[in-house]
Amino acid sequence: MKMLKNLSIAAAAILALAGNAQVTDYHKIQTPPLHNFTPAQPKRIVLGNGMVIFLQEDHELPLINGRAIIRGGGRDVPASKAGLIGIYAQSWRTGGTTAKTGDELDDFLEARAAHIETPGDVDSTGVTMNILKGDFDAVFPLFVDILQHPAFRQDKIDLAKTQTRTSISRRNDDPDSIRVREANKLGYGADSPYARQPEYATIASITRDDLVAFHDRFVHPNNIILGFVGDFDSAAMEKKLRAAFGSWAKGPQATKPADTGTPAKPGYYLINKDDVTQSNIAVVHPSHMMRNDPDYYAAVVMNEILSGGSFSGRLMNDIRSKAGLAYGVGGGLFAGWDHPTLFNVVMGTKSGTTIEAVNMLKQEVEDLQTKPFTEDELKRAKDAILNGFVFTMDSKAKILNQRMMLEFYGYPADYWQKYQKGVESVTTADVARVAKKWVHPDQLAVLVIGNPKDFDKPLTSLGSVQTVDITIPEPGANNAPKSAAPAAAATPAANTPDAIALMKKVQQFVGGKAVIDSVKATHQVADLTMKTPGGDMQMESDTTTRYPDAVRRVMKTPMGDVTMVITSEVAFQASPMGNRDLPSSQRDTLLRGLKMDLISVLRNVEQPGYTYATSGKEKVGDVDAQVVTITGPDNGVVKWFIDPASGRILRASRSGASGTEVTDFADWKAFGAITLPASFTMTVNGEKTASGNVKSTDLNPTIDASAFEKPKQ
Amino acid sequence: MHRVVRRACLLAMLVLTANVWAQDLASIEKRVTVKKLDNGLTLIIYERPEAPVFSYATVANVGAAQEVPGITGLAHMFEHMAFKGSDEIGTTDAAAEQAALKKVEDAYTAYDVERRKTVGHDDAKVAQLEKAWKDALDAAQKFVVPNEFSKVADQAGAVGMNAFTQADQTVYFFSMPSNRLELWAYLESNRFLHPVFREFYKERDVVMEERRMRTESTPFGRVLEQFTSVAFLAHPYHNGVIGWPSDLKSFSASDAEAFFKKYYIPSNLVVAVVGDVKASEALPLLEEYFGRLPKAPEPEPLRTVEPQQKAERTVVLHEQSQPVYFEGYHRPPITDPDNEVYDVMEELLSDGRTSRLYRSLVRDKKIAANAGGFSGYPGNKYPSLFTFIAFTTPGHTGPEIRAGIEEQLTRLKNEDVSPEDLQSVKTRVKAQLLRQLESNQSLALQLAISQTLFGDWKELFRSVDRVDKVTAADIRRVASKTFTADNRTVVYIDNSKPAATATATGASK
Repeated sequence: MKMLKNLSIAAAAILALAGNAQVTDYHKIQTPPLHNFTPAQPKRIVLGNGMVIFLQEDHELPLINGRAIIRGGGRDVPASKAGLIGIYAQSWRTGGTTAKTGDELDDFLEARAAHIETPGDVDSTGVTMNILKGDFDAVFPLFVDILQHPAFRQDKIDLAKTQTRTSISRRNDDPDSIRVREANKLGYGADSPYARQPEYATIASITRDDLVAFHDRFVHPNNIILGFVGDFDSAAMEKKLRAAFGSWAKGPQATKPADTGTPAKPGYYLINKDDVTQSNIAVVHPSHMMRNDPDYYAAVVMNEILSGGSFSGRLMNDIRSKAGLAYGVGGGLFAGWDHPTLFNVVMGTKSGTTIEAVNMLKQEVEDLQTKPFTEDELKRAKDAILNGFVFTMDSKAKILNQRMMLEFYGYPADYWQKYQKGVESVTTADVARVAKKWVHPDQLAVLVIGNPKDFDKPLTSLGSVQTVDITIPEPGANNAPKSAAPAAAATPAANTPDAIALMKKVQQFVGGKAVIDSVKATHQVADLTMKTPGGDMQMESDTTTRYPDAVRRVMKTPMGDVTMVITSEVAFQASPMGNRDLPSSQRDTLLRGLKMDLISVLRNVEQPGYTYATSGKEKVGDVDAQVVTITGPDNGVVKWFIDPASGRILRASRSGASGTEVTDFADWKAFGAITLPASFTMTVNGEKTASGNVKSTDLNPTIDASAFEKPKQ
Repeated sequence: MHRVVRRACLLAMLVLTANVWAQDLASIEKRVTVKKLDNGLTLIIYERPEAPVFSYATVANVGAAQEVPGITGLAHMFEHMAFKGSDEIGTTDAAAEQAALKKVEDAYTAYDVERRKTVGHDDAKVAQLEKAWKDALDAAQKFVVPNEFSKVADQAGAVGMNAFTQADQTVYFFSMPSNRLELWAYLESNRFLHPVFREFYKERDVVMEERRMRTESTPFGRVLEQFTSVAFLAHPYHNGVIGWPSDLKSFSASDAEAFFKKYYIPSNLVVAVVGDVKASEALPLLEEYFGRLPKAPEPEPLRTVEPQQKAERTVVLHEQSQPVYFEGYHRPPITDPDNEVYDVMEELLSDGRTSRLYRSLVRDKKIAANAGGFSGYPGNKYPSLFTFIAFTTPGHTGPEIRAGIEEQLTRLKNEDVSPEDLQSVKTRVKAQLLRQLESNQSLALQLAISQTLFGDWKELFRSVDRVDKVTAADIRRVASKTFTADNRTVVYIDNSKPAATATATGASK
């Protein structure tokens, strides 16, 4: 112990020669040369079918990570199908393979802490795989299967659509996401594939056939770059990959689509958002610089001077540190790998300094052309880039990823070596020239998202302002946004106060809101009489409903029990003749009906997704009934005819597949805490089709876990 | 039959991963050197010579939980000040600047006291004192070399320079080429040796902007602030890390200095370095630099303990945004023997597409686009909250999410988790830790935080062993005692009211 301590004192003494710990001036600290470092390059293999493979061994941890990058992405789909790549990427993985459902894949992979995912991007899609090395032989066949035999099951396409609709509905909630999206539209043009956004209508139009067609168009070995990094032997890995992919036939070669898009005119653009205390600002214009442009290196140095490092750039120094006007500020002249991008500088400032901040930001852009770049700025920027250069290759995974990117965009393998040399040679004159050539202070579109009533001055004090309407177009609506409308998410129809008041009365009549809200499930037994071509048929129905989306109905008919189960997952009918799946159209109709049933409609008064509007009075029997039109999810519509005196529902009517379906309710009585009709009569287009008497209704019954499961054959 | 086969496969796989794991742990221990300096500061070095770079994390054992009313937000404010330099960095004349800053403080105190007077408040006097303070600020500004600390590090090749403040700790980190170790050791020790609180009041404005961005202008931030402030009545987890606006507009550089002196003492600091660093060479160097920090008495441990919750709390925000849903249950701190049971429940409920909340709320009911339950929020040093967060799909509401979560919690209480599911969770917990080791920066953070919380970095790995011992009965027991109605706090957005009403309410504040 003592010995060790002495040793470390000795070591300290030696080191103290190099660096005196009592320094009070960091300039005096010596910098020894960086250790010699030649990062290992991955092995490149090209298969006969054109697939390019990179293998990078890394034995530090018992992990293997793999990735296929595939040409073709969001920019390759038509505008009318915007959002396709998101639905495709999600349901590619969740929809499973022809051999295994997505859920089965989930179970298999999660038990091994393994991941296979299928990301989608604007110019590519991919399949990734992250595993503990011992699982390679178990998981790799699934990776191959997903590439070659995806199933795109409809239920997962539907789930992906629900997820996408959710993000559409939320896209105006966060000011940062509004800024990113709308600045892209200004800079690229709203019609550019690099700025497009999904809408409810474009999502609704996407079909499984579209996804399969996209897959068939792009997923071919000659469009794929495959890379593996981790704890494996390259020779053995190469053998496995050749065995898996060597005989995969070539397909059509993907090509990059033409660049389209009409950028917005320079000027001021305002988005009203009244629930924020901070304005989000972007100044933007198109950038046609590419990564292989000789001016690129000077642009990199210019960007470093403008907003590089942690707090070193001009923007951070002037706008954050000196003026205290922003927490976040940054940006610069971006350069594309294979398509034009943007000059884009962004910041956030409190509403009361919005105009001041816009002026400062514009001044910073002008300064790029007028305020000389000093030798000190140049040296700091170049030092920062070159000293930090080692971080472009400090892990084997990073090196592999870079090589794959270069291969994908057709850049030479020595790109990063050239980059280093290119930056070394940049002078202040180069930076000044490039700033004058590529930055256009007179071309800026200035976007402000904020609460104008709290601005220090009106935005119009700077010039003419165009208000951008970001109202989310509802399904079926004309997609062209109306100008100068308020920026909140709109609901298609509005509640009318008298309808709401009447619905509350109905809630009271039925047993009160608390009781209705407490209903998670019901179990109802009824005697039914149905008109059939062969005469009236008697049967007992036994119905278990689990809100919002599961029904199990057993019909005890003279021919035996017929069981129908509809949930968002399964839809089938079991009868003495055997089991069969119900078509999804029938399932959707029934689920939509469930969302418009008595309990659902009563529960959702003043809830999003449902609206209630009075539409005149009509006689039902001798009661002058108030008609309320109720609009629910998925465009479900039902009319209720209500006795305004008592709040009793007399009749419900809706348009069905075969005409107007009318149900008359009678004999309201208490079933436990809730009051419901004990008998009803149904007519279609005025002809009686069925009637029934309810024998029992139980609220929140215990439901057998298997009640909604498909029976095993 | 199918089931038996599946179990056999699982078993085979487990044997394999367990072996891999044991090897890995042994090799990790060999690479780690820990040294507690005489002044109480702990240094951890993890040797990983793959590339000539290193990452570090400094964890200060102080966070928003150490704040009291009037200085909320100050721990985070100090984090910002730690980038402002010292008497040796960021100034043209340290002595003259110190005198100028003293004048700023005197002028500010006079102004602030007058400003906050309720009896005999005199606007003219306030304006005059404000001007005097601003004049003093201008005088002090003349000595500032802006952002010198960051510029020196950036120029030397630092990447990923940042810091964050949480309820429990404040964490500083970045990466550098390995030949800059000494420069880094100088910079990092110097910022805690003689920090100078220059440009404090401008930085306060920056923090206000951060508050507007994170907390005020996003629905998530607004819900989050309500959530902790309602769930905790007494314990300082009640206050969000960013602080209350009135405190942010009032507290002074003197307040920050007092806070620094009390809590930024060497025994409250852990510094972990991971990368191309030889402990035998680096340790003496680091000891020289970090040994300069003066020893100081440890601050008294926190007194306030959150009393047991006796009533369910529900808070509804009426606004136009789509619903964001939070639900929390008080749970014991990370040092509790049941901690890993909560971790297992988190995995079971939230991790991936096999998780129960994904399968029930997202896949089957389709009422949420995302839903998860997380083990310790807003911290874990003190008793905290098992927290559920969900984002509804269009047309669905907070109460539906609440019912959906309750269904899953009832299941946790009443049904044993299957051996397969439990095993799957345990496998994933190990793999996650393994994957965190991939990056120098993430490993440095993990080592330093574990050392701070437990006094021993190895707890990071021992925790995995404890996860391995969790049983189905443990889960039922802990779920039953935790997920009760009286222990519940629910906060969500309801956007069914017309937006105009919501706006009017907002504007009247």
